[in-house]
Amino acid sequence: MVDIRLNATINGRKVSRDAKPHLRLLDFLRDDLNLTGNKEGCGAGECGTCSVFVDGVLMKSCLMPVAKAQGATVDTIESLAKSGELSVLQKAFHKAGASQCGYCIPGMVMAATAALRANPFADREEIKERLGGNICRCTGYQKIFDAVELARDVQNGRVPATALLETDTADGDVIGKSVRRIDAPSKVSGRLKYAGDMIMPGMLHVQVLRSPHAHARIVSIDTSAALAMDGVESVITAADVPGKDGFGVFVHDQPIMARDKVRYVGEAIAAVAAEDALTAKRAVAAIKVVYEQLAPVFDPDAAMRPGAPVVHDYAPDNITKHIPIRVGDVEAGFAASDLVIEESYSTQAIEHAYLEPEAGLAYVDHDDVVTVVSPSQNITHHRHMLARIIDRPISKVRFIMSPVGGGFGGKEDMIYQGMLALLAMKTMRPVRLVYTREESIISTAKRHPSRTTLRMGLMRDGRIRALAMRMVCDGGAYGLSTEGVMRKAAILAAGPYAIPNVQIDTFGIYTNNTPSGAFRSFGALQTQFATESQLDIAAERLGLDPFEIRRINAMRDGDMTHTKQKLGSVSLMRALDAAEQASGWESGAPAVRGPVRGDLGHDDVRPSVTLGTRFASSGAQEAAE
Amino acid sequence: MARKRGRGMAACWYGIARTATVDRAAAWAEIDDGGSAKIVTGVTEIGEGILTVLAQIAAHEIGVKPEHVVIGDNDTARAPEAAHAGASRQTYMIGNVVALASREAKKRLVDVMADMWDVEADSIRTGNGEIWAENTNHRITMGEAVACAKNRGVVPIGSATFGTDTTGIKDGKGGDGSGRPWQAYVFGCQVAEVEVDTVTGEVQVLAVWAAHDVGRAVNPQGVEGQIEGGIVQAIGQGLMEDYQLKDGHTSTSGFAKYILPTSLDVPRVNSIIIEDPDPIGPLGVKGIGEPAMVPTIPAVMNAIYDAVGVRVFDLPATPEKILMAMREKARRETMASQAAE
Ligand code: FES
Ligand code: FES
Repeated sequence: MVDIRLNATINGRKVSRDAKPHLRLLDFLRDDLNLTGNKEGCGAGECGTCSVFVDGVLMKSCLMPVAKAQGATVDTIESLAKSGELSVLQKAFHKAGASQCGYCIPGMVMAATAALRANPFADREEIKERLGGNICRCTGYQKIFDAVELARDVQNGRVPATALLETDTADGDVIGKSVRRIDAPSKVSGRLKYAGDMIMPGMLHVQVLRSPHAHARIVSIDTSAALAMDGVESVITAADVPGKDGFGVFVHDQPIMARDKVRYVGEAIAAVAAEDALTAKRAVAAIKVVYEQLAPVFDPDAAMRPGAPVVHDYAPDNITKHIPIRVGDVEAGFAASDLVIEESYSTQAIEHAYLEPEAGLAYVDHDDVVTVVSPSQNITHHRHMLARIIDRPISKVRFIMSPVGGGFGGKEDMIYQGMLALLAMKTMRPVRLVYTREESIISTAKRHPSRTTLRMGLMRDGRIRALAMRMVCDGGAYGLSTEGVMRKAAILAAGPYAIPNVQIDTFGIYTNNTPSGAFRSFGALQTQFATESQLDIAAERLGLDPFEIRRINAMRDGDMTHTKQKLGSVSLMRALDAAEQASGWESGAPAVRGPVRGDLGHDDVRPSVTLGTRFASSGAQEAAE
Repeated sequence: MARKRGRGMAACWYGIARTATVDRAAAWAEIDDGGSAKIVTGVTEIGEGILTVLAQIAAHEIGVKPEHVVIGDNDTARAPEAAHAGASRQTYMIGNVVALASREAKKRLVDVMADMWDVEADSIRTGNGEIWAENTNHRITMGEAVACAKNRGVVPIGSATFGTDTTGIKDGKGGDGSGRPWQAYVFGCQVAEVEVDTVTGEVQVLAVWAAHDVGRAVNPQGVEGQIEGGIVQAIGQGLMEDYQLKDGHTSTSGFAKYILPTSLDVPRVNSIIIEDPDPIGPLGVKGIGEPAMVPTIPAVMNAIYDAVGVRVFDLPATPEKILMAMREKARRETMASQAAE
C-alpha cells in the first residue's frame, strides 16, 4: 500500500507528512511525531488513555485511522501546557494528588478538560459520568473528582487561584503535610517517558511467539523462514540461553522461553528482533513449532490427586508450597466450643490491569554491560537472575527501573526482560518490546484463585476457641511468588485475634493455567475474606454486634501472634473505635438489619446511581429490566 | 422497595516489609551546592508517591524545602541496593534509611559549623534552608554552609543501611509456622454501606469508612490516595472482575470482557488515619499500600447480607449470583412457612 500524505494541524502547528495508511491516529502521533504523552492502554477503545481532541471533540485515537485526521485539527495532551505552564486543570490534578502511576492521567486530563468545556458548572455526579470512559487503576478516582471540582471552582472564580499552590511549609515541619507530589507535573503534562515511550537510535523491535497449548512437548522449532526474512536481525529460543535458565521470585522454575515443553497458553516460546514491529510480527508467524500434546491439569484439587499430570518434574505432587501454622490443639478447642461454624469460600483470579502494559528496552553498553530498562518492581533480584541466565558477572548486568505505569505486584516477575537482554546481546543493538493489552493479560501473573474451608469454634460469650483453615490456591504453570503468597496468607489467616488453638494450611498448586503471582495484599486478602465473613456469621448466631465480637477477640499490646511472636503496641482497638465513630455505626447483631437501621444515608455517603446511565456508559452490560 | 441498603464492617492486620526474611535497604545523601539535598537509593516510585515522601523526609531531616531535594534512583549500577518495590515496604524501608543517611550528611555539615562558630554541635539547628546556632547571632543559608564546609575540604555526605530484625518461620515438614516474620504490624477497620437492587441484583458500594494505622503519615493526601485506590481495587475483585479460563484459554483478554471499576462504580471513601508510631525505625512510619484493600471485600459482603439477607461465599458477587441467592432464600422461606402451616 502506498503512503498517504497527511495534512493536519497538530497542537497548533501545520503538519504535512507521509504516513502508512494502516496506522491509527495514535500510532501516527506517538511513533511518527514522537508525541508520546497520550498512551496506549488497551488499543481497543476501552480505557481512554489515548484520548485526544479532534476538531475539538474528545476522541479515542486508538480507534481512529490516521486518514480520518486528514485536514483536521488535532490536540494532544502536549497542547495543554505548551509553554511549560500547566493549565488550571493540570494544576488542580497536581494539587489534589490526582495522579499516582500517571499512566491514565494524560487521557484523564483530556477527558476532564472536555467535561469542563461541555459544562463549566458540572457537579460531582456529572463529572463522574463524563469521565466514565476513562479507566484509572490506581487512584480509586476520588482525588481525580476532587481535582476536577477544584479546577471548576477556580475557573468559575468561586475559589481563588491560590488554592492551587503548594501547602505552606514555612513553619519548617514538612512531615505530616500534604506536600504536592513532585512527580505530578511530568505526569499531568504527558512529559514523563515510560519504557514504551522511549526510543534509542538504531533500535530494533521485538515480538514474541506464544504457546497456543496449555501443556505440550515441544518436538521441534524451525526458525529458518523467520530468520531469512528481510529486516529480521535475530530469532531466539531457549536453545540460545548461554547460562543457567530459570527465574521466579522463590523457585527459579520458569525459563525465559519455554524449554522442552509449554505449560500454559501464552507462554513465550521464541522472540524476534526486526527493523520494525510489523516485520517482527510477520517473522513470528513464520516460526514453525511441532508440538506433542500432553494431558493438562486445570483444577488445583485434581492436580493434588495421585496420578494427575505432572507440571514440573521436580514437584511430582504438583505442590509448589504448603505452609502450616499450628497453635494449641484445634480438635480439643472445637470440642470445648459452644458453637462451631464451618463454611467454604472461594475467590477468583483477577488481573492487575495496570494501565501500562509491559514494555522494555535493552542494550549492551560501551563497557559490555547488558542493560535492561523496564518497569520492573524488583530490579535488584532481576539482575541476580539475569546474570546467571546470561552467564555474566553481576557487575556486567544493569537494570534500570523505568517509570512504572502501575504494578500492584504484577511487575515483580522477570517475565520478558530475559528475552530482551538476550536479543540485545545477539544483535549488539538496542531492542524494544511493548506488549499489547491482550499479551499482557494472557501471559502475566494473576491473583491466586482460592478455595478455602474454615471452621471456627466459639464460646457463647463470643470468644473464638479454635480456628482451622485450609486453603488451596491455583498457582498456575510457574512458581513466581506462590510460595511467599502462601506464607503471608497463612501467617495472617486467622486475623488479628487472640485464639488459643489455630491450625492453618495453605497450599499453592501447579496447574496448566496462567501463572498466579504477587498481587497487592498477597494472599492475606483471600484468607481474611473468609475469616472476616465468618466472624459476622458467628456474631449473628451469638447475638453480638460485629464490632463487639472483634473487640472480644482482638489482640492487645504484648499478645502473641499465631506464629508465636510477641507483639508490641497493637492499634486494632483504635482502628475499630475510629471506624465505628466515623461511620456513626448503630450497634446491633448483624441479622439483616438493613431495612430497619437508622445509620444509613449520612452526608458522607454518595448518592446512588440510576441504572440506565450506569450501564449505558460502561457499555459492558445491557440494562437489566 | 426495589433497592435495599445495608452496612457491614471488617477488620484486618498486615505485616510491613518483606515477609519472614531479613529485609534491607540503603541510601546515600549529600547536601549539595546551593543548599539542596541529593538522595540516591535503589528503588522508588511505582505510583504510590514514595518520591514525594522521600523528599519530605530528606527535607525534614536536613532542613531544606522538599522542592530542593533531588532524588537519583532505580538503577542497579548507580544506586545502592534498596531491594524491591512491594510488600508495603517503601515508606518503612526506604523512608527510614533516607532519614538515617540524611542525618549523617547533616551531621557532617553541623560539625563544620560548630567548629567555625565555636559552639556545641547540639546547639545547631536547621530548617527551611537555613542553619543557625541557638542563642547566638549565627545564622546563614544552607548554601553558604555547604560552601564553608567545602572550603575546609569537607563534602557533606552521608550513607545508611536499614535492616529488619526478622526471621523465617518454621514451615518445613512438621513445622508449626513459628517465627518473627515482621517487626512492624498495622491494623485497620472498614465499614461499607451498600445498596442492592433486588430486581437486577446489582450492588453499589456507596461509602466506605476506612480507619488504618500507618505509624506516622508523612503525606496524609498520599495515604488517602493509597486507601482510596486499594478500596476500589478490592471492590473490583468483590463485585465484578473475573479472569476466566476454559481449558487454559482465557475469554477475558481485553477490557471489553474483563470489567474494571469505572468512575461510576466507586464509593465515597472517608479515610481516618491512625498514627501508632513504630518504635524501631527512626521515623515511626509503617505502611499502607496493601492493608488498605484487605477489609473491603468482607465489609462489602457483610453489608450485602445486612441489606438483603444473602451472603456471597464465592467471589465475585455478580448481579446473577446475588439474584440466585435471593431466589434461593425466598424459596427456602416459602418452604419453611408452608411447612409451618
Ligand atoms: S481507549 Fe485507546 S488505548 Fe485504550
Ligand atoms: S494513576 Fe490512573 S492508572 Fe495509575
